[in-house]
Amino acid sequence: MTKRMIIAALALGGVGLATYLAMYKLGMIGTIACGTGGCETVQMSKWATFLGLPVAVWGVFFYVALFLVALLGTMERWVDAPWVSHALLGLTGWGVVFSAWLTYLELYVINAICRFCVVSAILVAVTFLVSVFEWRARPRVAES
Amino acid sequence: MDAGRGRSGQQIKQGAKGAPGGKGAHSAGARKAAVRSTDRKPFYLLLGAIALAAVVFIGWQMSQSKSSGVITIDASTPVPEATGYLIGAATAPVEIMEFADFECPACGSFATLTEPDVRKRLVETGQARFRFMDFPLNIHKNTWDASFAAACANEQGKFWEMHDRIFATQDQWNGLVTNKPKATFSRLARELALNEGQWEECYDSQKYKLNIEANRREGERRLVGSTPTFLIGDKLVPGALGYDQVKAYVDSAAAKAALSPVMPLGGDTALKKGPPPPKK
Repeated sequence: MTKRMIIAALALGGVGLATYLAMYKLGMIGTIACGTGGCETVQMSKWATFLGLPVAVWGVFFYVALFLVALLGTMERWVDAPWVSHALLGLTGWGVVFSAWLTYLELYVINAICRFCVVSAILVAVTFLVSVFEWRARPRVAES
Repeated sequence: MDAGRGRSGQQIKQGAKGAPGGKGAHSAGARKAAVRSTDRKPFYLLLGAIALAAVVFIGWQMSQSKSSGVITIDASTPVPEATGYLIGAATAPVEIMEFADFECPACGSFATLTEPDVRKRLVETGQARFRFMDFPLNIHKNTWDASFAAACANEQGKFWEMHDRIFATQDQWNGLVTNKPKATFSRLARELALNEGQWEECYDSQKYKLNIEANRREGERRLVGSTPTFLIGDKLVPGALGYDQVKAYVDSAAAKAALSPVMPLGGDTALKKGPPPPKK
């Protein structure tokens, strides 16, 4: 399995996770399966919205974009396309920064930890690491 | 297309070193050849499994959410009012209303660490009254049993004693340690010298299910989204509060109440069988 396949698989898991959190935030699921109770606190906080949209919905967009880029990067047509490596690194790098900000808010501002958010942060960190390795081994375009 | 040439005709080399033929280097053609020869079936199977797991989990959560909200009732039964359980003087200027789940760790933390102080320093001094409202969450499989146990103790005038013991023994009956919480609750009923036969009949019949449900719905109506959540005056505050925080909200609510009295919530189920014994 290639690194891009691994990123695609992790991103698909992230799509499921973010969709679940978004459905809770949008009122489609009554309660959230988080044993600590912290998920509700985090999801009900004012920090759970970013630029007018629930953070979880942004998470869905992010993971879907990551999944699509990684999946396209596994296709024969784009397997040697450096832009895929750049895009994966850029997306996951942004994801790490955003997740770090959210984790900071949970720990020091909201004072509650949402397990699902922690899982998402770990997912993003792992995809970032894989993306770094993938980027280092990317195909390079050289002068003939 | 020749091996080693990209679509643009430029030579493509692989690896950080960038040297064709170097360590770990493969031409783009080799990459494509590898893609062609790679069996992609396991990859697609993995994606399918992940997608299926996500759909099943979300679907299950949605069905749980819906099934717990629908119960079969006798249409002739009057719908009970959401009265919760009250301790303290009905004439106290401020009401502290707690929406809590007996199995929620944060509720347990509040009940054992902060609530004794609140009762002693605010309730017993007449500054506030305290109302417990059941808010059982679907994620806690034994919480309804705990609410039944407390409601049936209330039938014999010992809600608060049972409430305190249920929270204090949370580690013995919660859904992670047992599927049979009744054994613990029966022991608590014995320790409280309740009429065991009456308590057990009440517990098994789940006769207060609608009352508990009414309390929970009152919480939903008031936009409670997590437990514990406190309603003090006009402030809905989520999270386990410390004593100082509760006191500050009570003082603020008392000041406002002095200006514009607010009608308290209806009846008082916990006091119907007589006032609770004084706290030691």
